[in-house]
Amino acid sequence: MNLQELTSSAKGLVKSFGLPRIIIGLFLLSLFITAPFVGVNIGTSLSDTFNRFGMNAVMVLAMVPMIHSGCGLNFGLPLGIIAGLLGATISLQVNIPGPTSFLLAILFATPFAVILGWGYGQLLNRVKGGEMMIATYVGFSSVAFMCIMWLLLPFNNPTMVWGYSGTGLRTTISTEGYYLHVLNDFLSIQLTDHLTIPTGMLLFFALLAFIIWAFLHTKTGTAMTAVGSNSVFARASGINVDKVRTLSVIMSTWLGAIGILVYQQSFGFIQLYMGPFYMALPAVSAILIGGASVNKASILNVVIGTFLFQGIVTMTPSVMNSMIHTDMSEVIRIVVSNGMILYALTRKTEVIR
Amino acid sequence: MKLALTRIFWIRFVAILVILVFSVLLFFIGKQHTVLLDNKTVTIEGEEIRALQLVEIQINNLEPMELAARDRDKEEVTGQKHSVTIIYTDSNWEEYTIERTFKLPLMQEMVLLSIPTLVANPEADQSLWLENYEPPTYAVTAADSEEEVVTDDLSVLLTDI
Amino acid sequence: MTLQMTKTQKLLRIIGNNTVPILFLVICAFGIPLSGYSANYLVSEIVIRISRNSFLIVSLLIPILAGMGLNFGMTLGAMAGQIGLILISDWGIVGIPGIILAMIISTPISVILGWWCGKILNMARGREMVTSYIIGFFMNGIYQLVVLYGMGVVIPIRSNSLLLPRGYGIRNTVNLIGIRRSLDDLLLIRPFGIPIPLATLFVIAVLCLFILWFKKTKLGQDMRAVGQDLEVARAAGIKVEHTRIVSIVISTVFAGYGMILYLQNIGTLNTYNSHMQIGMFSVAALLVGGASVSKANIRNVFLGVILFHLMFVVSPMAGKNLIGQAQLGEYFRVFVSYGVITISLVLYEVRKKRDQHYAGMQLAAEQEAST
Repeated sequence: MNLQELTSSAKGLVKSFGLPRIIIGLFLLSLFITAPFVGVNIGTSLSDTFNRFGMNAVMVLAMVPMIHSGCGLNFGLPLGIIAGLLGATISLQVNIPGPTSFLLAILFATPFAVILGWGYGQLLNRVKGGEMMIATYVGFSSVAFMCIMWLLLPFNNPTMVWGYSGTGLRTTISTEGYYLHVLNDFLSIQLTDHLTIPTGMLLFFALLAFIIWAFLHTKTGTAMTAVGSNSVFARASGINVDKVRTLSVIMSTWLGAIGILVYQQSFGFIQLYMGPFYMALPAVSAILIGGASVNKASILNVVIGTFLFQGIVTMTPSVMNSMIHTDMSEVIRIVVSNGMILYALTRKTEVIR
Repeated sequence: MKLALTRIFWIRFVAILVILVFSVLLFFIGKQHTVLLDNKTVTIEGEEIRALQLVEIQINNLEPMELAARDRDKEEVTGQKHSVTIIYTDSNWEEYTIERTFKLPLMQEMVLLSIPTLVANPEADQSLWLENYEPPTYAVTAADSEEEVVTDDLSVLLTDI
Repeated sequence: MTLQMTKTQKLLRIIGNNTVPILFLVICAFGIPLSGYSANYLVSEIVIRISRNSFLIVSLLIPILAGMGLNFGMTLGAMAGQIGLILISDWGIVGIPGIILAMIISTPISVILGWWCGKILNMARGREMVTSYIIGFFMNGIYQLVVLYGMGVVIPIRSNSLLLPRGYGIRNTVNLIGIRRSLDDLLLIRPFGIPIPLATLFVIAVLCLFILWFKKTKLGQDMRAVGQDLEVARAAGIKVEHTRIVSIVISTVFAGYGMILYLQNIGTLNTYNSHMQIGMFSVAALLVGGASVSKANIRNVFLGVILFHLMFVVSPMAGKNLIGQAQLGEYFRVFVSYGVITISLVLYEVRKKRDQHYAGMQLAAEQEAST
């Protein structure tokens, strides 16, 4: 290959991959490379990155069904998270300690996710074209509504409620004794003193990712993809567009519920009230960083995106702190994640509505 | 960007110039200074000037202040040109009134006006009794830590990211 | 067959078009007696809030005129205004000159930010609102970069009371004692013990007159044309992209001034949070006043401020008296604030589709009648 072919193929690669993603990838690589020189242990960093990857991956996976069916980026992820929180709190209320509580949480969260997802899907079907903005505010309103509910619902497990009054849930509830690290420690591999791989959590994500991948290759799954790429053609082929879209929303909401449960078992706390408020944005920007666009996403995007995003979130504080003794990580996180979303929103789309 | 010397260009240019000049004017009019009114014994060129027992001092048209010996008070003023009126009673129980105007340097936050020096040399140039003052830096940084945060109650609509 | 709406359909249509204000009237009608506040207190609170927030909300009108939807990017203007205020606080300029100088400083910053925002919105045709929403968050990061790391280092700040102890970066709160209530107190009257800041209200009135005049100018008419139908406007020779950008620039500049007016009333600058909040509650207030994503006028602004802030003020006490927990009332008002935006957005989309559907049916009916 002569020089001209090389540069043109390189340019093609850059264009298809997207310049911002390459910049982010190189940035992360440079962080990893400089880490040992500034006294940050690579093992711990990798460990943390894998941990955060597992924590967030399922919520990023939740973006895939809705992007596939043309509903856009799921800014309304908080709705799914709320379903998960309901599952978690009810599971704790039932008070069966140990790993079973995790399965119970999933069990209790599912009906909520299905119902909420169905309602949300019906709403989105009536507002085709303006889904993303409405999704954002549906998410916000539901979090605010649940704030009222968390105060009023009749929970009484002493680990969950306020001490003095005995009613109303606390802002953060510990998962210790119930499903703390249930997945993390399952089959976890300890490579070195600093490097631990939370295999259980990663396997769980792999399982869910496989289920989604398999689903997308079924008849309904391909129908979903058809609806997303060209809804007119899909309707002409006899596909019930609204039904498929609602299904994608239900799936997305359910994955959001599972996602927050996975997050909680690793993080150690259930965050109620305004906790889930902004949780959609990291997931949205993660999948976009991974190569997805507003109407096209694959499992590979999820994996790459979550790894890059969480890598930056993990590495920047430790490396930059040691290097320039300032904590610019918050600012970098804001700029990178929102910049990525901006980049995706300003791409030209090929979707015909 | 082509720069065509059209009429519109000149009108805009002049407009921007006017705004710039206006801004500088605002800077002059609006700059706030603190004048420290000092009634302490000072030593200038080897000569000691005693502090006054009781003196009443008024800056511009603000509230007149009474200072005893070794007292120091402060007044905040806006702008460059100000007047000071001093009424004091000397050892012979006679009342003297001194009125002077003075100009403050633009970039100086705080100045010190030494009353005894002014009274002793009522006709002297302001540079004798008015000097720039730098607050000691340790005094400033510790101050505002416990300040009450006044927020609009609408802040509940947004939580920390 | 002609399609005529029955009387009930017409009534339903009116209620449908004004759902949100009516909903809020109902909430206030319940909340005010429940809260137990005196009329005097409520009126004075509302007057203060009108004088404080109206300017910001009026700045949202122009992008709606040009079809850009709700300009969540007014956050950018707020940031520009705040930077102006930080600078004059550092220089020690007080009173009215301080306010005017802050406005002058904020203008070029607002123009640049608004121009950039408008360009990006042009690239995201059809998704302006989400994009402006994310632009607000993105610029927040840049703002923090400038204010938390740049000030004191690249931008010289002399005053130690502004800087963090580490030597650079502005503190979390900046005391605006120099300009506190400067405009408000300029012409304050107190009928029946209710303080009314005439000077501020006068400035707001001037802005409203400006908007009314602007709608009649060529630029204003261009914007309306662009807002109604992009392609028709382009065919008529209007520079569509340029007009859209100008609408955002004007909105951003006014948002900057509005933020300065807002802060001179409060007296303290919450350096890293103030600007993020105002976008939210300005949009909410405008929608409560009956505006929609494509149509808003000055009536909506003032009706919206009154209703929205009434609800906001009475909710905590009403919640306390109703259920026994003031916290409930506080969460309730947060929920209502976000809920109203959600409902408005949904109604707008639904109505848009229904109007298209209705227009299509009328067209079909006419065709049938003519054959």
